[in-house]
Amino acid sequence: MSLREKDLGKGPACTTMKSLSNYLWSDHPDEKKWADCTHCGMCLESCPTYELTGQEQHSPRGRVHLIKSVAEGKLEVNSHFMEPVFACLDCRACTTACPANVDVGGLIEEARGQIRQAMPLKGWKGAVSKVFLQGLFPHQNRLNSLGSFLRFYQKSGMQKVIRKSKLINIMPQHLVEMEAIMPEIQPSVRQKYKNENVIKAKGKTKNEVAFLTGCVMDVMFSDINDSTINVLTRNGNDVSIPQNQTCCGALHVHAGDRDTGRKLAKQNIEAFSGAEKVIVNAAGCGCMLKEYAELFREEEPEWHEKALLFSTKVEDISKYLHDTGFEKPKATINKRVTYHDACHLAHGQGVRNEPRDILLAIPGVEMVHMQNSDRCCGSAGIYNITNPEMAGAVLESKMENVPEDVEMISMGNPGCMLQMAIGVKKYGRNQKVVHTIQLLDWAYQKEDGIEGKDIWQ
Amino acid sequence: MAVKKIKTKDKHIKNLATIVGDASSILYQKVDLLAYECDGFTVYKHSPKAVVFPKNTNEVSALVKYCSDNQLPFLARGAGTGLSGGAIPLNNEVIISLVKMKKLLNVDLENRLAVVQPGYVNLKLTNSISDKGYYYAPDPSSQSCCTIGGNVAENAGGAHCLKYGVTTNHILGLEVVLPNGDIIELSENGILDVPGYDLLGLLTGSEGTLGIVTKITVRILKSPESKQTVLAYFDRVDDGSQAVSDIISAGIVPAALEMMDKTAIEAVESAAFPVGHPRDIAAVLLIEVDGIAAGIDEQINQILEVCKKRNVREVREAKDEQERASWWANRKTGFGAMGAISPDYLVQDGVIPRSKLPEVLKRIEQISQESGLRIANIFHAGDGNLHPLVLFDARIPGETDKAILAGSACLQACADVGGTITGEHGVGIEKREEMRFVFNDEEIIAQTNIREVFNPKNLLNAGKLFPTPGRCGEIKQVMKEATTVS
Repeated sequence: MSLREKDLGKGPACTTMKSLSNYLWSDHPDEKKWADCTHCGMCLESCPTYELTGQEQHSPRGRVHLIKSVAEGKLEVNSHFMEPVFACLDCRACTTACPANVDVGGLIEEARGQIRQAMPLKGWKGAVSKVFLQGLFPHQNRLNSLGSFLRFYQKSGMQKVIRKSKLINIMPQHLVEMEAIMPEIQPSVRQKYKNENVIKAKGKTKNEVAFLTGCVMDVMFSDINDSTINVLTRNGNDVSIPQNQTCCGALHVHAGDRDTGRKLAKQNIEAFSGAEKVIVNAAGCGCMLKEYAELFREEEPEWHEKALLFSTKVEDISKYLHDTGFEKPKATINKRVTYHDACHLAHGQGVRNEPRDILLAIPGVEMVHMQNSDRCCGSAGIYNITNPEMAGAVLESKMENVPEDVEMISMGNPGCMLQMAIGVKKYGRNQKVVHTIQLLDWAYQKEDGIEGKDIWQ
Repeated sequence: MAVKKIKTKDKHIKNLATIVGDASSILYQKVDLLAYECDGFTVYKHSPKAVVFPKNTNEVSALVKYCSDNQLPFLARGAGTGLSGGAIPLNNEVIISLVKMKKLLNVDLENRLAVVQPGYVNLKLTNSISDKGYYYAPDPSSQSCCTIGGNVAENAGGAHCLKYGVTTNHILGLEVVLPNGDIIELSENGILDVPGYDLLGLLTGSEGTLGIVTKITVRILKSPESKQTVLAYFDRVDDGSQAVSDIISAGIVPAALEMMDKTAIEAVESAAFPVGHPRDIAAVLLIEVDGIAAGIDEQINQILEVCKKRNVREVREAKDEQERASWWANRKTGFGAMGAISPDYLVQDGVIPRSKLPEVLKRIEQISQESGLRIANIFHAGDGNLHPLVLFDARIPGETDKAILAGSACLQACADVGGTITGEHGVGIEKREEMRFVFNDEEIIAQTNIREVFNPKNLLNAGKLFPTPGRCGEIKQVMKEATTVS
């Protein structure tokens, strides 16, 4: 009986908080954001990394708790802290699930900013990050050169030789998978329209909009940008493409490089200063543009107000078309289509029904429901490159939810399109991966009798 | 995830890792453990020694045996959404997390039962059988993420328990690992063990102090043919309370009868799932009836009549399933929504006779004024299960203690009118001392004697459920005498 009611020593109620924060740089994680978290756990099941690991440091509330613990001086900013913070997909599903609207994504990005300053990337990871994030995406001319190179790679026969010789296999597996699904590269719309101030609406002008062409989008999917311009002009919009616009900075902010994020944000805010409406067709970019103000909370606060104003002008193409009205196509596209909610569209911008309504407006399109359609596909910016294993597992469960009998998977984000195309190939499926606006444009084209798209055969 | 290597000299951690097979099934680094220092009850925080993730009953048994043989305190944890601190490792426990045991093992529609592993999430069961016209009735507000294993430990309730009963009414069988590692099966094949002691009843709601449940057979029900939900706004809390009593007196047994007061309305309307409740209203009632379609309209009419008699400002039925769902999402996220109006909250869980509702609500209002802390009320009014939510800011020195005292005073108020201190959240750490509001020393000893039988070393989830002798000299004394005698 000696241990029967062992004196357990009641733990003290946590009324004291150390004032010594272990965040040493400015722009640190926002206390107001975690103050809303009551640790209720309603976020758990929404989180793909928690689903896969079952571990709470890989859950939204766990991450918030750790981020807060650093501010309370209970943890250091070190590699142990880095792991769960960087394993987050930043998919924002937890924000949708959270009863108190805790901005977990924002906290994660802020914490990554601290981590990257405390422990800059070294070795090959540092080099890769420098080459791509700083050396490539922010520079239009280099992106154009990359596009030209990829086009040459595909057209010259080099792609065939490299694939055939198995030389391709010297790259890591996930890059091989990405190369395998690389779409046919077309010239970018930025180059195509570089001498035109405004692409006039077909017929009467109802609105004037500015278009963010994006960096990955314009290199890899310039046909979607073409479609976006076609759809906008067809529905009475004059479209301008401000030439000094740049990469939105989402990839940088996700990676913790908030300085570059701010630099790009300022450039875009200036570039679009004359615009009333900024139209985006990439969910990740749209979400970033809408959140620019977060970057200027502490640093360069004189930009905060401008960023807030800018964010009110930003709109996803599907929401814009839906709200301002669009011509219902008359041609029929007889396809069974399922829709995948890009995280940064559904969770990030609350756009869910608008793209579905657009698809339903196309005669012949039969919509098939996808279970867990707003579950991340694992693309998550460059997560599929930085965390290939977790991204692969997330993709696998996504593909299990893609209905067997559909012909197309429609979505509104280029990262998802690449990832889902990898999924289709990897799991031996045969769906075509399309952008919602692309499908609408094809319907218009068919209506106009334009030949050349095998899609409506 | 990549295969990890164990980087520690602690032999226990190495041995525990060997039992669960690999290093990715155990956590022992400070940062990872910090995520386990509390559950949904955040007032007390303690770091565990390690967190292990067994994949089957044999691994659970081996882990328990190892802990028992080596005098290591241990406890079980599911999703960690508990509200009384039942999964907080007060004694640097080894946490046995059951979230990887999350399979639905069997569904037997003919015999209306399902067999699940403890880490299976409550709502997933209903989701996986609803297309066949069945559901699992207990619906705690956290049902979208809490586990059925945790529900068994806490004997969880929910909004619809008014008509259908709490978890214990839906458990048909359990496989349990006892604190020495032995595995026992209670009621096999869904046939209740009628002969002998009701161990199933004893284990359910034992808050993880008697054993670790590793397999659960639950009752599943046919989905009601029809359901309808009514929303009623009252300008006076008294009128709302009276309406609750009147509905029950009229012989109606609603599936759910929920109430929120003004402060709670402020929270849910400021949070993620607002539905447009007027902010100036004193109380909102959410009343749901279900059953055979033919009887529903009549019950609804009766409810509307009762509400009108009690001066309702506005009362209406849900116009469609979407609206009904939005009302429930608004209600069921009510606790978390407190985050939108207060940095911290502490939720209490008293039960009172329905007729005492107005009296107790007045007392709670007084407690709020005396403590200077706001108290929101969300409750299962139909079965008299109150959830006063004490709002506070832990960053202000002394305010946490003030909140704890205010919460305790609310429970005292419940006990004073013949009620009790918990309806569905469990005692855990939070209400240990308050056990004395409803049990005398002999009654508490009778219970700890039972624990002694199952958990003689008191290594499993020690320090929960009963008042600690450290804070209660009298009980310690009495207990010493009791042991000397035995």
